[in-house]
Amino acid sequence: MGVYKIVLTLGLISLLHSGYSAAQYRTFLRISEQEFESLPLDISIQAIVSFAVVVYSILSIKSDWKLIHATEIGKSSWDTFANIQSFYSFNHRGKALFNPDYTQPNLPNMDLLN
Amino acid sequence: MANRVKTRETKTGEIIAFSETAVRQNLINIEYVKTSLSSLAGCTAGILGLTGLSGFIFYIAALIIFFGLLIVKTGNTWNKYFISRKSLVTNGFLGGLSTYTLFWTFAYGTMHVY
Repeated sequence: MGVYKIVLTLGLISLLHSGYSAAQYRTFLRISEQEFESLPLDISIQAIVSFAVVVYSILSIKSDWKLIHATEIGKSSWDTFANIQSFYSFNHRGKALFNPDYTQPNLPNMDLLN
Repeated sequence: MANRVKTRETKTGEIIAFSETAVRQNLINIEYVKTSLSSLAGCTAGILGLTGLSGFIFYIAALIIFFGLLIVKTGNTWNKYFISRKSLVTNGFLGGLSTYTLFWTFAYGTMHVY
């Protein structure tokens, strides 16, 4: 995955470079007063190849696909299924029981409420 | 998030169970890749200096390139990750087209007009 990030950067730089070449070619045409027909073949090939490289590297970076068949899921362990985020609880007495540096927070002064 | 299971009957009458979380996760990944695909294809089309109908043909060609790269990436095992391979390309065609047109006109303007 780390390799593909480098490839992605190189591909983007190559695509930018071909864009810069195209702009320069247009400037050259304008100075020499010629009509634009199409880009030189090397710039077109560079643009298309770097486009394909960039798309492939994005596809590879984002390729952490999950298996969709429920029968494949059956092979994973019980802990995977028992891990339900809705039932997470962080604010419980374990904080006071297992932390030696725990200090009790100041209780609100009930007299102020009267 | 619950790990719900979705079932579907095949043509042979066999019932296959899918994990909905995994299916959705894969579709989100592919959506990400397709958005970047349409923006980059737009940049490439602008660099190439395409105008009119040829630009829209290039968009379809870019989708075909994407499909080819996806086949290269997944190979024979695509049905472990996606329910339908065809819908990966056809989904979100018009939304991608508007992103594509935006980047196409932008790149064409910077490279060829100015």
